[in-house]
Amino acid sequence: MTADRRPEQDPRHPDEHFEPYELDASIPWPLLGISIALGVWGAATLFDTRRHEERAQVERVEDTQLATGQAVEPGHALFEASCATCHQPDGLGIRGAVPPLAGSPFVRNGPELVANIMLRGIDGPIRVNDSLYDGHMPSFASVFTDVEVAELASYVTSRWGESNRALEAAEVAELRGRVADLGSFRGGAGVAEDTGFALDEQPTFASGTSQPVSPEISALIFEGRGGQWSCASCHGDLGQGRENTPRLAGLPTDYIVKQLGDFAAGRRINESMAVVVAELSNEEKRALGVYYAGLRVPSNARPDLGGDLERGEQLAREGDWSLTVPSCFSCHGPSGFGVATEFPPLAAQHAPYTASQLAAWAGGQRTNSSLDLMEHISSALSAADRRAVADYLASLPPVPAGSGDMLAEQGEGQ
Amino acid sequence: MNNYLPLSIISLGILAFATLMLVIAPGIEMARPEPPAGLQPYTVEEQRGRDAYVSMGCLYCHSQQPRAPEQAPDGERGWGRPSVSADYFYDSPHQLGTMRTGPDLLNVGARLPSESWHLTHLYQPRAIFEWSIMPAYPFLFEVKAEAEEGDVVVALPPEFAPAEGVVVASQEALDLTAYLLSLDRTYPAPQDGIRDDGYRPRGDAE
Ligand code: HEC
Ligand code: HEC
Ligand code: HEC
Ligand code: HEC
Repeated sequence: MTADRRPEQDPRHPDEHFEPYELDASIPWPLLGISIALGVWGAATLFDTRRHEERAQVERVEDTQLATGQAVEPGHALFEASCATCHQPDGLGIRGAVPPLAGSPFVRNGPELVANIMLRGIDGPIRVNDSLYDGHMPSFASVFTDVEVAELASYVTSRWGESNRALEAAEVAELRGRVADLGSFRGGAGVAEDTGFALDEQPTFASGTSQPVSPEISALIFEGRGGQWSCASCHGDLGQGRENTPRLAGLPTDYIVKQLGDFAAGRRINESMAVVVAELSNEEKRALGVYYAGLRVPSNARPDLGGDLERGEQLAREGDWSLTVPSCFSCHGPSGFGVATEFPPLAAQHAPYTASQLAAWAGGQRTNSSLDLMEHISSALSAADRRAVADYLASLPPVPAGSGDMLAEQGEGQ
Repeated sequence: MNNYLPLSIISLGILAFATLMLVIAPGIEMARPEPPAGLQPYTVEEQRGRDAYVSMGCLYCHSQQPRAPEQAPDGERGWGRPSVSADYFYDSPHQLGTMRTGPDLLNVGARLPSESWHLTHLYQPRAIFEWSIMPAYPFLFEVKAEAEEGDVVVALPPEFAPAEGVVVASQEALDLTAYLLSLDRTYPAPQDGIRDDGYRPRGDAE
């Protein structure tokens, strides 16, 4: 493409045979400069993010170690994180709701009994010194390793009991094997009976848990009816839930009945639940509520939203006054086990469900509570905070607990 | 336009470079000889359902790749953790998709484990979601005067049920549902899984 190939041309006539051509011209240097600079920038960015990816990988490993409790400090720190939410940091408990560890005959009997209680949990009435309690002590079997159970039991008994014996992890492993299928202790009487320790006189356990259900209700739950799918097909055979389908086991009867009524009336919006409840009578709603409230099922929830668990714990236990968010436990009860029927339990609820409800309040989609307390709290939290607190709550043991083999039978053990 | 040789060499070179960077290198990086522990191969029924999913083009409205929380609130929607390459070990062809007219489906079996729900939804999405724009797939079902032994009857609200008889699911509908229920990648991601880390470098102050 040189100038001499330029066709001859008569200047008087417009040229019909003109062919476009190009003279030699080098790329202008600013363009060249910019391209090179862009290239260098691109390479540098690639190199830079490579480092971030490596760091993300390292952090993920650390996060899971934290979440699975591998890197946590023994004894005191564990107590603060897992027991103090209910039994209080000073071990004095909460009057009328959670018994004290300080001065308790159960703790006085040594670390083995405490480890046993931690592994199995207690369901039903119990007498500690002169007071009666009728709450639920969660089972920590799925939460702690043998080493951690041993450290905690030794810590509790050396601080509030009279024993200074340090329990060995091997003893806990043996104990764990022995009690794995036994489920929660049936009240204080159950503890005395199963372990043979000398405990003060204990109230008797009246089985209020597994309510017999009528065949019609059982069909609703497990088979469905007419245009309705069965509850179990979504919420699981044990009411354990999954992802953004909530765990129902252990929610208070009245709370369930109210939510079912709200779905039916369109006050709470969820298309699938609206179909399910459309044909339910009030008696059926109540029977379903009683059934699910009475279920005891271990947790199958996991902190799986990638939230910051430390931040989540802070929000749940202390709140954040810079955001005017009170602590979740101040309403939902110590360790999120629920208070009366107005404040549903949050412990062991699936993180995606909890986070989706917080997002629904913040976005104005869930408006069915006459108390109107969650709207402000949810909107004050950032998306990262919502994930963090949802993840932390999912990591808590459920109250009341169930026996460890129930989920394994469903193919969902961890 | 007469120096064809350098032109073709350069364009081939560019093509080769792009193939190397976009196909070969990621291929090597993501090649995993091991499926993750929690992932089962598809059963014959699920695989048949998967073929139906592919042939009916569900991909054009549904992705199968939950994103990192930094990019989209997929976890809160119940769509699952960000996927890693190993999650697709048995998927050929993969159904990643890019359009999200409907929800991501990689974990739909975990959040919606109800076979009867899926059958109703495939027969007529509007029986559940009044506003749904997902096509109905009535040709996967048969209207019979009465259900026979072994038939799976579709649960339908009265407005959507046929005037007479019952709606029964065909084998293809059951296969497709089996495939949808098998979509469950909620097991923990393998530690060395390659995934999307979002745009925000982790570890930076919030
Ligand atoms: C969700 C709240 C909660 C948490 C968390 C909790 N407990 Fe309990 N605990 C209770 C309740 C409630 C009882 C009484 C049970 C009853 O009424 O049936 C109890 C009873 C006990 C008892 C027997 C009674 C007594 O006071 O001596 C011991 C021992 C005990 N818990 C130890 C622990 C240890 C150790 C931890 C930490 C790993 C822990 N608990 C965490 C609620 C909790
Ligand atoms: C198609 C699946 C499906 C079926 C079937 C189903 N549910 Fe649900 N249910 C859900 C989902 C999803 C939610 C969460 C709704 C939301 O996000 O607001 C829910 C929410 C609930 C809630 C509110 C829980 C809370 O913590 O606020 C209750 C109570 C409930 N369901 C009870 C039932 C009962 C009882 C049945 C059977 C009669 C049933 N569900 C059948 C999917 C289902
Ligand atoms: C001021 C009291 C109060 C505080 C503090 C509070 N909540 Fe609530 N929360 C409620 C009430 C009341 C309800 C029941 C709403 C209803 O009946 O619909 C509720 C319901 C919920 C639910 C729905 C449970 C379900 O099963 O659907 C979630 C999730 C929840 N709260 C999370 C939280 C979190 C997380 C925090 C802490 C950041 C928190 N709450 C703090 C009062 C409170
Ligand atoms: C035109 C786009 C479109 C096509 C094609 C399509 N869908 Fe959908 N799908 C949607 C929309 C929109 C929704 C949300 C509303 C609803 O649930 O109906 C949805 C929802 C779903 C859901 C429920 C997911 C959830 O979390 O609620 C499933 C399952 C589903 N589709 C499966 C399929 C299958 C299987 C096919 C192929 C046979 C398919 N879809 C084809 C648009 C589409």
